[in-house]
Amino acid sequence: MDASLDDVLPEASLREAVDLLVRLVEAAGALIIFAGAVWAFGRLLVAAVRGLPDRRFNRIRLGLGRFLALGLEFQLAGDVLRTAVAPSFTEIGQLAAIAAIRTALNFFLGREIAAERAEIERERRKEEVEPHGPTTP
Amino acid sequence: MDTVLHLAALTVTALGLTAALVAFAAAGRLRTAMAVLLDFLTAAGLLRLAGDPNWDTIAAAAAVIAIRKLVAAGLYAGRPGRSARTPS
Repeated sequence: MDASLDDVLPEASLREAVDLLVRLVEAAGALIIFAGAVWAFGRLLVAAVRGLPDRRFNRIRLGLGRFLALGLEFQLAGDVLRTAVAPSFTEIGQLAAIAAIRTALNFFLGREIAAERAEIERERRKEEVEPHGPTTP
Repeated sequence: MDTVLHLAALTVTALGLTAALVAFAAAGRLRTAMAVLLDFLTAAGLLRLAGDPNWDTIAAAAAVIAIRKLVAAGLYAGRPGRSARTPS
């Protein structure tokens, strides 16, 4: 039974296929995070040169946070794929540690994004109520 | 792939330092600059975690992220016009 199954789908081939998939998915996640950092850097430079208000920086940070969350989702998908083949205990331990870090960070990032979004929304509403800003004597 | 990721992480760290300086110069607020820097450093930490990390890399990334969360929580709590309670 084992021999025939190994003929159809050798374990080594399965490992190689999963490893390739993991690398592709992780590379996609890393690319998203890097692209997000470059995007945020460009936007920050433009905002600083144009002398845009402070809250613009928070919007850019919100954008970067979204990129990070998306990249993390890809990397977590890679972690899940890694569990498809039975690794050694050392690899399981490392996988658990990395997955725990990424999951915790994803959770906190989600909360931060929600908080930033609420802050921006609050500022927007405040501007709608006071379109000309606070009155000066 | 590890070399590329390491280079990418270094680049993001450098971008973060520059962005923080630019944000401080433009906004004139250390809190804004620090928040920007911490976001970029988190991105760099995540890049370092990709690939085939060893225990040292994992421990270092976990420590950096934990410190980053602590400082960010402090910044958040100290923001004017906002209570220390984080929204759910």
